[in-house]
Amino acid sequence: MELKIVHFYPDLMNLYGSYANVAVLKRYLEELGSTVTVEAVVPGEAADLSGADFLFMGAGTERRQKAALADFVRYAEDVKALAKDGTPMLFAGTAMELLGKTITAADGTVCEGIGLGSFTSVQGRQRFVEDVYGATDLYGEAVVGFMNKCSIIEGVETPLLTALDMGFGNSGEKTPEGFRFQNVLASELTGPILVKNPRLLEHVVRAIYARRGQALPEELPRWPYAEEGYAITEEQLKLRWQKAQR
Amino acid sequence: MRKFLAILVCKLGRAVGRLVGKGSSLPGKYALKICPDILRRVQLPAHIIAVTGSNGKTSTVEMIAAILRSGGKTVVYNEEGSNQIEGVTTTVLTNATLGGRVKADVLLIESDERYAARSFQYFHPTEFVITNLYRDQLTRNGHPEWVYDAILPAIHPDTKLILNADDPLSSCFAQNHENVKWFGLNPCSITGDKPTGVYRDGAYCPLCYAPMEYDYVHYNHIGAYRCTKCGHAKPATDYTVTAADLDQGRLTIDGAVTIQLAFRSIYNVYNILAAYAACREVGIAADTAAGVINNYILKNGRMQKFTLGAHKGVLLTSKHENSIAYDTNLRYIAASKEPCTVLVIVDAVSRKYFTSETSWLWDIDFDLLNTPQVGRVILSGRYCNDLALRFSFTGIPREKLLVQPDIAAAAETLKAEGSEQVYVVTCFSDRDKLLAHVVKEA
Repeated sequence: MELKIVHFYPDLMNLYGSYANVAVLKRYLEELGSTVTVEAVVPGEAADLSGADFLFMGAGTERRQKAALADFVRYAEDVKALAKDGTPMLFAGTAMELLGKTITAADGTVCEGIGLGSFTSVQGRQRFVEDVYGATDLYGEAVVGFMNKCSIIEGVETPLLTALDMGFGNSGEKTPEGFRFQNVLASELTGPILVKNPRLLEHVVRAIYARRGQALPEELPRWPYAEEGYAITEEQLKLRWQKAQR
Repeated sequence: MRKFLAILVCKLGRAVGRLVGKGSSLPGKYALKICPDILRRVQLPAHIIAVTGSNGKTSTVEMIAAILRSGGKTVVYNEEGSNQIEGVTTTVLTNATLGGRVKADVLLIESDERYAARSFQYFHPTEFVITNLYRDQLTRNGHPEWVYDAILPAIHPDTKLILNADDPLSSCFAQNHENVKWFGLNPCSITGDKPTGVYRDGAYCPLCYAPMEYDYVHYNHIGAYRCTKCGHAKPATDYTVTAADLDQGRLTIDGAVTIQLAFRSIYNVYNILAAYAACREVGIAADTAAGVINNYILKNGRMQKFTLGAHKGVLLTSKHENSIAYDTNLRYIAASKEPCTVLVIVDAVSRKYFTSETSWLWDIDFDLLNTPQVGRVILSGRYCNDLALRFSFTGIPREKLLVQPDIAAAAETLKAEGSEQVYVVTCFSDRDKLLAHVVKEA
């Protein structure tokens, strides 16, 4: 199968190894036998979203996020149409905030998001940086990652992480984290999230194949380093959480 | 009275701390409790040089101190590396009379980049060196622009800024600031024509976010940048490395001063230049500065030579969570002419705090190790799987990679056979876990 990944602003929204989400996804799809092209969207240049199987945007600084948003509004209607059509997407880090209604910068300036979700993000002068250990409705295993943001996000009705045992979520300590709409996933977690969570990567791959009406083979690619890396981080974070409980 | 008490407590605390081998920030902390504005009430030397930035602070400060002392100046500085306000307070008060006069010609401060504003609300540097701003310890620093915003309020209008002309981000501190001196490198033996590395932090202008162009690049995105829209560009430099040959280990400053490098790393070149610029600005003669930094061997132990079985080894301390520091050391290894094995250890991400954050591994350009001389790469420590996954996305042939979670076992593997050069790349947090198994060279 020929698959097309659209990567928004890879040189602008590039913090915290964001690109690795695309790298692991591309390789996984290739190991399944697909041919994958990655099309980069550059601010100010024309891009074609038609036929996209996956859309991605990574984390950027608060100022770069506004620069990205200024360009991204061109694609607002296309992205929303693709989302409603079930296209899988991942908006990682501050890119998540572009999907909401508004982003309020630390100086009080308000920008409009594309409004796929009805949530709002308010950025401040304090940064929330800590390990996160939580649960998702998508599968049974824990989600691990690292939070590194300065925003309080209110009004998410369908979070990606439904409960956190540890860490800062959308609007505070141990609040749900991220956003989900059909196959659109958004999360401020880094690690990067698809690298750190092999089950989430598999979930995205299933969504991509399902939307194209293709069945996945019974035998999926095995990535022992990713699995073992996840197991160790999961164990470390769980130990940390248990210690905090005592 | 409170001032006197604060100084006394700090001095006593420091003396007791020294006896029991405790760190140097606690006495300052107590002094600040007794007298919160103690740093405003003391009488400081005529010159206060501060150094901050992502990389090179400690080395630059160490060289500045050595040069100043050689130039006959008395220097007080936070040598033990406590670079937040408590540590600065300890340094200042320990070296003050009970009346509060600091007995030195120069107060030299290595300042934590995020807390500089806190330290400098009570006094301000006369000369402020900002080495660079890169991605560094993002688990505490957020991102480079966040750090930029944190440093900005620490800059007093009267302070003379000594800035790196080649860094597109930290050079922005010159915006709306009158008194600036620039240091930078002309094209030299390692200069390329476009940015390198896994990510492109210099792709867009930090002021207006238009695309930037480069005339040349010394490493990553450090070089001669030019914004295509707003005119932000590398400025003319006041202190310039006019020629440098890292293979020969030689550099020339301002076309006149020739310096031999004890450590042939581009970092060392920038640190030397920054130290040179700062010292010249406070009146040290070029010859005096050159005499000290010629063949200068840093005492802060960032590079440790050792033997392990029949192997000669070099441990290059690379801060975890700092991709440019890693890239620089990897480039140093890649320049090696002899066959070698590289051991990369990530066991504890930080020695100061717990985290499982490993996104920074994806920011490091490990492909630099994809050279014929690098015969083997051993990945070790708790996060060896994360490393192995990252390495599987490089062009380095799989058969060259060996994953060994246990650091002692990795050392044993090396010791058991072979005599090739070994390079170890790891952080302060993990270095002793290897050094315990080798014979260190003095």
